Amino acid sequence: MKRNETLMGALAAGLITIGFPGHVVKAQGAPRQVEVTAKRFAYAPGEITLKKGQPVVLIIKSEDVAHGLRFRELNLNAKVDKGGSAQLSFIPDKTGDFVGHCSVFCGSGHGAMSLTLHVVE
Amino acid sequence: MRLPAGVILAAFAAALTGCKVSPPGKIERATVTFVKHHIFIGNKSQKNPLEPNAATWADGKEAFSHYCVACHGMDGQNTGVPFADHISPPIPSLTSDEVQRYSDGQLKEILDNGIWPSGMPGSKGTLSDDELWAIVVFIRHLPPAGSQGIPEMYNH
Repeated sequence: MKRNETLMGALAAGLITIGFPGHVVKAQGAPRQVEVTAKRFAYAPGEITLKKGQPVVLIIKSEDVAHGLRFRELNLNAKVDKGGSAQLSFIPDKTGDFVGHCSVFCGSGHGAMSLTLHVVE
Repeated sequence: MRLPAGVILAAFAAALTGCKVSPPGKIERATVTFVKHHIFIGNKSQKNPLEPNAATWADGKEAFSHYCVACHGMDGQNTGVPFADHISPPIPSLTSDEVQRYSDGQLKEILDNGIWPSGMPGSKGTLSDDELWAIVVFIRHLPPAGSQGIPEMYNH
């Protein structure tokens, strides 16, 4: 009886440790760092290609006023102070194109300020 | 043959009286409202891609506060806007039937391109698609009139 409980416990702990295949995206190595500058009314670069499962850190630097970068579909949002910087750390867990927009109103072209992430296998 | 200065002045004054703006009458308002709803403002069938939840409402309120409050007030009901009744056509309350009868798609169309020849400007490019759709959610659930105070620009 006691042995059974021990076995069940070990099995449950093992499952929690290794995760359930199909539900977990395995991180691949050290985070890739990508520098992004934000300046009215564009990001540079305007497009970034990422690998699914590879951790990434977007380092967003403002060259003028306060900006933001939001990817609604990925549930990511960063705000950058005037002339400052901010980081967005994440692991892309699905492939596709994701368009992020400035999330801090920065003037007349604010709505057109976007950055596209291409996440590939 | 030269016209006397008095005649020129009288003609000029007459022309100016033709520029006087008066509030639209009932028939004029009803006609224009009908035409806007059924002819001028398209995009009737487009659905809002955003969930109408508290987070989207807050996003809409935030986006509305940057650009729209100058004419519509913080509450969308013209609170504190000094010229709301003095322009032609007057700025409607966004809670009014005239506005709420538009579909979500039509509201987005108006936010994108404005309504010519009224004073309503388009915001495409100034605000993102996401922000504009969030504003549509905010317009559908406006806070009580006067509850948001007066826009900062009219506080001085």
